[in-house]
Amino acid sequence: MTRREYTLRDIHMALDGEMPAEDREAFEVWLAANPDMKAMSTRFAADRARLQNVLASVLKEPVPERLTEVVTEDQPRTTRTSWLPAWRSAAAAAVIFAAGVAGGYLAGAGGLRTQAEAKEELVENAIGAYVTYAADQGHTVEVGGTDRPYLEGWLSKRTGLKLVAPDLKSEGFELLGGRLLPGGQSPAALLVYKDQKGAQISIYMIAKGDAKAKGTYTAKTGGPTAIYWLDKNYGCAIVGSLPEQRLAEVAKTAWKQLVEAVPG
Amino acid sequence: MDEKKTAILAEIPRLRRYARALLRDRDAADDLVQDSLERALTRLDNWRTGENPRRWLFTIMHHLFVDQMRKVSRRGGNATVPVEAAERLPQAPAQQDNFAVRDVLDALEAISPERRAAIMMVAVEGFSYVEAANILGIPAGTLMSRIARGREELRVLLDDAARRRTIRIVEK
Repeated sequence: MTRREYTLRDIHMALDGEMPAEDREAFEVWLAANPDMKAMSTRFAADRARLQNVLASVLKEPVPERLTEVVTEDQPRTTRTSWLPAWRSAAAAAVIFAAGVAGGYLAGAGGLRTQAEAKEELVENAIGAYVTYAADQGHTVEVGGTDRPYLEGWLSKRTGLKLVAPDLKSEGFELLGGRLLPGGQSPAALLVYKDQKGAQISIYMIAKGDAKAKGTYTAKTGGPTAIYWLDKNYGCAIVGSLPEQRLAEVAKTAWKQLVEAVPG
Repeated sequence: MDEKKTAILAEIPRLRRYARALLRDRDAADDLVQDSLERALTRLDNWRTGENPRRWLFTIMHHLFVDQMRKVSRRGGNATVPVEAAERLPQAPAQQDNFAVRDVLDALEAISPERRAAIMMVAVEGFSYVEAANILGIPAGTLMSRIARGREELRVLLDDAARRRTIRIVEK
């Protein structure tokens, strides 16, 4: 049995199960001989028990559906109970975070915007771009999709995003190409895809973010639908006139590839 | 549903407990859990089969929590409502808590987030020092000093709370 002086540090280690078994006996002997230390050890153990008890009730609460849905349902979903997540709003009140993008630092356009405004601006611009360009069979893109690395490099450089053109062949869509669009503080990128039947979809991306949100938006009945994501440093919307379920599938495939590229 | 998703679902109650300890506010805590789950699902491929899902998920959540703390401190805001302000707020859940529960939650909220996280990891979530240090991305020595200092702070805070309560009862 080792005989040595122990310290408070050992009390914590013993309490947390980190003390080597062979030290345990000598430690108990030391504790017994040092009433102050013994009292401290008892106290820390009692505080820990209080902490465990107080928090144990959380384990028994039913798990909110919105949390299980994240796991059981496939992305993207349309529900987020609050537009400004409470853990962010609790931390920063109504202040919208400025977005740091690819080394640069962008102030939110026009200072403070509500998230609803940010969302509307994103989907309206994205749908506008779709209606203007993706519907135009002749002059859809500025740069063709045949040289994908060049297209990605160009759009990334201009938008300040690390942008990839998702491969949507598994969904039956070929990349037609992309173009640059005017945006608030930095340009936006538009990628256009086409399937064999001639249906076109577009992906709109801009380096202007907000608190996280996502959803589905249709401007008018029968009009194109946008499935969008907002995160702290980018906004993205996938727009098309496909049936919503089908668009959601395509969006999911695209989204997976996009989030892997975009830092966040 | 595949195995990975089933394993993730099983961890939600613990993630909620840890988030609640970090943020106290129930909705805020669940938002953090939701964000963590969303991030986890986009990174399912990074999760090696056989790797403990709990460690993986707690690591993801910790990163999100730290990012948030950084942003808040850059803005000069408080991550949590100061104790004095919290006492003025009509908080329904807090009112339901009995005093003993409230004192513990108040004390936990009053110590630094770093120490709070370290104590929770080890004392409540039951991670070993090595596991906790890995999740929090700090050396084991740093973890130990956070635990020691945090426990000492909690002890003093809980004593103060008990004393205030005694005085209040005497005054009545």
